[in-house]
Amino acid sequence: MRIYVDIMRVIQREENHAKPTRILYGANLSHDRLVKHVDELKALGVIEEVAEVDDRFYKLTQKGIEFLNQFRAVERFAAAFGFAI
Amino acid sequence: MVGPRWFVGFDSLMELVAVIIALAIAYQALKGYRLTKRRTLWYVHFSFAVLSAGLLIDSLLGFLGIVARTLRGTIGLTSIGYSIYFFAQLLAYSILTYAYVSQTRTFNATSSPVLLVSLFGFATLQAAPIRLLGPLVEYHPVSEIVLLLLVFYIATKTGTNYSSTKDQNAFLVFLAFLLLALSHLFFILQPISPLLFVIGHLLQLSGFVSFLAMLFRVNRNQ
Repeated sequence: MRIYVDIMRVIQREENHAKPTRILYGANLSHDRLVKHVDELKALGVIEEVAEVDDRFYKLTQKGIEFLNQFRAVERFAAAFGFAI
Repeated sequence: MVGPRWFVGFDSLMELVAVIIALAIAYQALKGYRLTKRRTLWYVHFSFAVLSAGLLIDSLLGFLGIVARTLRGTIGLTSIGYSIYFFAQLLAYSILTYAYVSQTRTFNATSSPVLLVSLFGFATLQAAPIRLLGPLVEYHPVSEIVLLLLVFYIATKTGTNYSSTKDQNAFLVFLAFLLLALSHLFFILQPISPLLFVIGHLLQLSGFVSFLAMLFRVNRNQ
């Protein structure tokens, strides 16, 4: 779960236009793990891949944005009680 | 009946408001648990769910008690309500205490005395002049001391959290538990003056309002 959120946050930080290398370094992943988790996130429908002329990038779907908002609320709630998630 | 006559019904009304807030907290914690599968969030959910159930029963029996008195049928409903609410609080705060203790993973020098004091308090409760086969004496000092100790421990943990994070939401949670602890202190002192009982309930409600404020803040989209 945590790694999914990290990847999605990198995409969000890149203004919803994150190239694979940015996610790789931003989420501190190996290439194999990046491919694996990105595929899982695409299957969940929270991110989508967009092909450009010579490249591709990833963006959050509306579902992904809502999920991040929910997760952020849960993080803040847990932190308010002093619990880490 | 405890407290001034004019306050009868208002305490049940305040508890009804607290029920709604406690349920909202329980729901938020459940959402968090479903998302993260973190056990501590399950403990928070269960604690506040139990708390809201106890508050609801106490509140409803309080209202029924008013009706019973009106119909001249004193059945000791408020005592039954308080007993259920007391055990609900005991369970809820014990679970929350455990949640904080389990975070440290080990029973250290701080947590052991707290648990020992709680056990001692509970044992004292059994030895106190309280009818064991019937409802508890409403707001008996011994009952309230046990609860005060538990809530005070939780308040210190949340206070420590606030002091290290300086997070506004953490402050609201700390304030909430502090107000709840103070409410139990006033319930202990209420034999001195009925007004202290009123203040105790106001403090309790204020505590839950603080929880509500935290809930609004964490769900506010930034």
